[in-house]
Amino acid sequence: MKRATQATETPQVGRSVPRLESWLKVTGRAEYVHNLRLPGMLYGKIFRSSVAHGRIKRIDVSAARALAGVHSVVTAAEVKTLVPEPYYGPAFHDQPVLAVDKVRYVGEPVAVVLASDPHVAEEAVHLISAEYEELPAVYDEVEAMTSKAIVHETLKPAGTFPDLKHLKGRSNTNVALDFRLRRGDAAKAMKGAERVFEHRFRTQQVMHTPLEPLVSVAESTDSSLTIHTASQSPSFVRIEIARLLGWPENRVRVRVPFLGGGFGAKLYIKLEALVAVLSLLVHRPVKVSLTMEEQFFTITKHASTFRIKSGVTRDGRIVARDCEVWWNGGAYADIGPRVTQKSGFTAPGPYDIQDVSIDSYALYTNLPPAGALRGFGIPQLVWAYESHTDMIARELGIDPVEFRRKNLLREGRPQATGTRMKDAALEKVLERTAALLEWEKPFDHGSGTVRRGRGLAIGFKACIANTTSLAAVSVNADGSCTVYTSCVDMGQGSDTAMAQIAAEVLRMPTESVTVVHSDTDVTPFDMATLGSRSLFHSGNAVKLAAEDAVRKLNELRAELKLAADTPIADVFRKKYGMRAGSVMGGGNFIPPYTPPDENGQTENATPFWMVGATGVELEVDTETGRVRITRLINVADVGTPINPRIVETQLSGGAIMQLGFTLFEKMLFDAEGQLRNASLAEYKIPGLLDLPAEIVNEAVVAEQRSGPFGAKGVGETATFGVSPAVANAIHDAIGVRLTELPLNPEAVFQAMHK
Amino acid sequence: MLKIGEEERGLSPFELAEPRSLREALALLGADGVRPLSGGTALMLMMKAGVLRPTRLVNLRRLGIDQIERGNGGELRVGAMTTLRALEKSPLLKEWPVIARTLRTLSNVRVRNVATVGGHLAHGDPHMDLPPLLSALGATVTIAGPKGERTTPVEALYAGYLETTLARNELITQLLVPAMGARRAAYLKCTTRSADDWPALGVAVVLDGRKTSIVVSAATDRPTRLASVEAAEGLRIESDLHGSAQYKKQLLRVYLARAIHEARHASH
Amino acid sequence: MRRAIQFRLNGASVEAQVAPHETLVEVLREEFGLFGARESCGQGLCGCCTVLVDGTAVSGCLYLAALAEGAHVQTVEGAAELDAVQEAFIERAAFQCGFCTPGFVLMTRQLLDEHPDPSEDEIRHYLSGNLCRCAAYPEIIEAVKLAARKRRQS
Repeated sequence: MKRATQATETPQVGRSVPRLESWLKVTGRAEYVHNLRLPGMLYGKIFRSSVAHGRIKRIDVSAARALAGVHSVVTAAEVKTLVPEPYYGPAFHDQPVLAVDKVRYVGEPVAVVLASDPHVAEEAVHLISAEYEELPAVYDEVEAMTSKAIVHETLKPAGTFPDLKHLKGRSNTNVALDFRLRRGDAAKAMKGAERVFEHRFRTQQVMHTPLEPLVSVAESTDSSLTIHTASQSPSFVRIEIARLLGWPENRVRVRVPFLGGGFGAKLYIKLEALVAVLSLLVHRPVKVSLTMEEQFFTITKHASTFRIKSGVTRDGRIVARDCEVWWNGGAYADIGPRVTQKSGFTAPGPYDIQDVSIDSYALYTNLPPAGALRGFGIPQLVWAYESHTDMIARELGIDPVEFRRKNLLREGRPQATGTRMKDAALEKVLERTAALLEWEKPFDHGSGTVRRGRGLAIGFKACIANTTSLAAVSVNADGSCTVYTSCVDMGQGSDTAMAQIAAEVLRMPTESVTVVHSDTDVTPFDMATLGSRSLFHSGNAVKLAAEDAVRKLNELRAELKLAADTPIADVFRKKYGMRAGSVMGGGNFIPPYTPPDENGQTENATPFWMVGATGVELEVDTETGRVRITRLINVADVGTPINPRIVETQLSGGAIMQLGFTLFEKMLFDAEGQLRNASLAEYKIPGLLDLPAEIVNEAVVAEQRSGPFGAKGVGETATFGVSPAVANAIHDAIGVRLTELPLNPEAVFQAMHK
Repeated sequence: MLKIGEEERGLSPFELAEPRSLREALALLGADGVRPLSGGTALMLMMKAGVLRPTRLVNLRRLGIDQIERGNGGELRVGAMTTLRALEKSPLLKEWPVIARTLRTLSNVRVRNVATVGGHLAHGDPHMDLPPLLSALGATVTIAGPKGERTTPVEALYAGYLETTLARNELITQLLVPAMGARRAAYLKCTTRSADDWPALGVAVVLDGRKTSIVVSAATDRPTRLASVEAAEGLRIESDLHGSAQYKKQLLRVYLARAIHEARHASH
Repeated sequence: MRRAIQFRLNGASVEAQVAPHETLVEVLREEFGLFGARESCGQGLCGCCTVLVDGTAVSGCLYLAALAEGAHVQTVEGAAELDAVQEAFIERAAFQCGFCTPGFVLMTRQLLDEHPDPSEDEIRHYLSGNLCRCAAYPEIIEAVKLAARKRRQS
């Protein structure tokens, strides 16, 4: 191991440093909340609703309470003794800690059994019974617009957001948010267009399926609470739990070790409010670990319907686009309204269109809640607009790549919000994808029962705004460095990237830097680890903090009249006469942002753009409809990679995950809203045998000038184009267009024989 | 499919009996709530799902019936407690390559390491791979019970979905697969979601001169013999999570033809 | 109903009080503080709970602890130093969140014991019962190939 005091001139950024926690992970010793047991800890097991929508008439917990070994059984009645208004959520305060009066989906938590032995708690859950007065339910997002079945009597937007204020107290509606964008006059432009195309696309409800299921532990005294949780958003958890309890934030401590995957499942409040309340009620530590099965009843990805209409000139110039998107948010809003809005404004795609209209609706339905899943709604949108784009090109007899070239948003041109594109390598990403596909060369389309096709798709995303990250960097007396950030390493490699950024500024080897895991008593505020924002936001904060530390070290050197290159350890020794002291640098990063006006227009919608394209070559078995991906090409603008190797694994991992959502993953519900495949035996995710024969990943040469050392986020970028690229390639192979995900063999076969 | 509300999850307490002989094991079986434990992979799943809540498990692992040998008539004899993995690795399978090919994609290595031939055959889940193949190959099983031994074709083991013709106090002790001779065989399965999914359809085809044996599974509630290729059209198939009845019928047409083709070109 | 069972755990003789319904992965966690084998899908499909019993990989979440009586149980924590497989996983960046990694490491060791020079098809089939939601699969295949080379060279 290199000595910590050794300075280095070797660039630390751009190095493929193996993850700092590699040893811990390959030896099974990495810390997950899953491992944590505390003295006197009780395990909570959840009793869940068996109806999709109903008024709770009676909950009988007497037999469960009577079972030997059961500590207690808790329902909303007990929760309310501690928290009179037990509703939480990031955008709406609509989700109860345990169902109050009503249940809104099958699987909603209604009661919890606590016991020292989880088997006993589980056994007791089966002794609980509940009676419901069933209410009409609604499952489809478009039907929810006009349905008589109303999921929430009144809307309860969180008071903190000015742009949600108008929704407060609205009743008799399932529309949680109606986002509207108008640029120019799309209706008028559409009338004047030579050709008009209109299509409708759908996506299915799927689940994140992190292999570490959701898990939280709370320990408490009467005046303090510590939550150990597998969360992507420790700072939010602290604020929201403090709000629920009416406590000051500094009495709530939230600790997060490594996560066994997140993908958006572990954001905001999941089990944290429940374990906090339980622990305070029973004065014991409480752990709730979900099973894989229970995750399906906790958080999912929005199903969606997208009606997209374009006016086009005969020679292939898109002059108007009209988008209407319905997001199936399930029974609780979670972050759905933000998906609706913050992703909704990119619904027309990365094209230069003069007149645009967007309506994007967040809907409540009686299904498990939907939130963010690796792309924050973008993959649903790209699925529609890139299928639509291909359909128009083929209708007009224009090459699909040429059609895209003709309409692509160029650097400096305004997007639908009016914000001008900046550091968004759309052209480069499109051209590299076409080049890697050898698009100009003839392609063998196969024969007989095996037909071959190729397709591509390009998407973009605006990083969510307005968000903040803080960081601190401590340079220790021996010259080693500690980074304090509430950015959570859920597998994306942020610890390593943050260490590289600090090391680059401090001119020390990355291996001399450690990153303290999120602990709200120790690490400063960070909005959340989501939406590919952390490398940019937390990275910039760490860079600022490291620069601050360097400045302070240089001040020390000047004060002590030491040469500018005096090793850090010598500076401290000179200052304190011994090995002592440290220098603390702080960084606070808030990128500029301008909120949109009532037409969704703003000059500054986002701190940065992500651009991703996918190229696909595939084979279709015409007798069965089975699709085999032979080549998957992922091209992205990630700015200048901090760690090229980790960037590559993010690109290919994201694309393979999206391939599962494209080809087979689907939550299947029956007519009563019962999920029929809540297990990995029946909800299949991609395995080694599902891998494409060849995968090519490329980060184009690019720079995000506002990013740390030119970098920006990469976690979601490779997901954008996968679904439409596959559908476009299927069309290329067999001339059949699919408009609904997943593109499973039966769907392909049925479409061929329609 | 279980529904929330009806469902019972988690392992609940039971006793574990450890007989040392077949006779002892048989004596322990029969009563309500008693189940034999072989490899335990399927049993544990059913217990975890709350489908089965036995009060006592009878561990068969110490009975020592795990030999693989070639009988005097050239047949393959497999002790019921042989793991699928031991069978897969047996050099004797060179003479029954279709069994080796089938085992390679049966569930995963960890399951095959533990699951046994007897347990696999006695489970009665139509998504299992060996029952249709062994049925088509004309394999039989030896079954021990309180009144002694009996022999029955593998094909006759299945009465319906998760239902077998084994009595509660009976155990499969041995599998016998006739020599391949000049026969050629193929087993194909088809998944409709991920590659490692349970099959939507399994088709076993054995060609013996002019005689063709076809056994279909997964799409049917138990391994089902087709009298002819044409009989596929009349086969009763239900829609399920793997696909609609209509689509699975199409898969059957396609895979049946492919299995016959593969069997024709197989070395055995 | 608990009873004492004796077995060897990562080379050491141990005893544990187990109930008949407890699984191996529960006992490793609760009695021995070993967390490398972890329950995820609970159905033997993901491989996160992989442990070796008498040298053979099993799904610890479907394996009754009582059946380990007299056996040698090995977990990923067993070795004192990194082996070729672990080194290769690090060098090829063959993991992200790390939750599935111990299972992949143990299965890869088994694969290489059986096939010292596995083809890509053999790798995919042998490891098809291990899931990685981060989908580090291409890197895992590369790591297995590298581990095979490292083992052959040493």
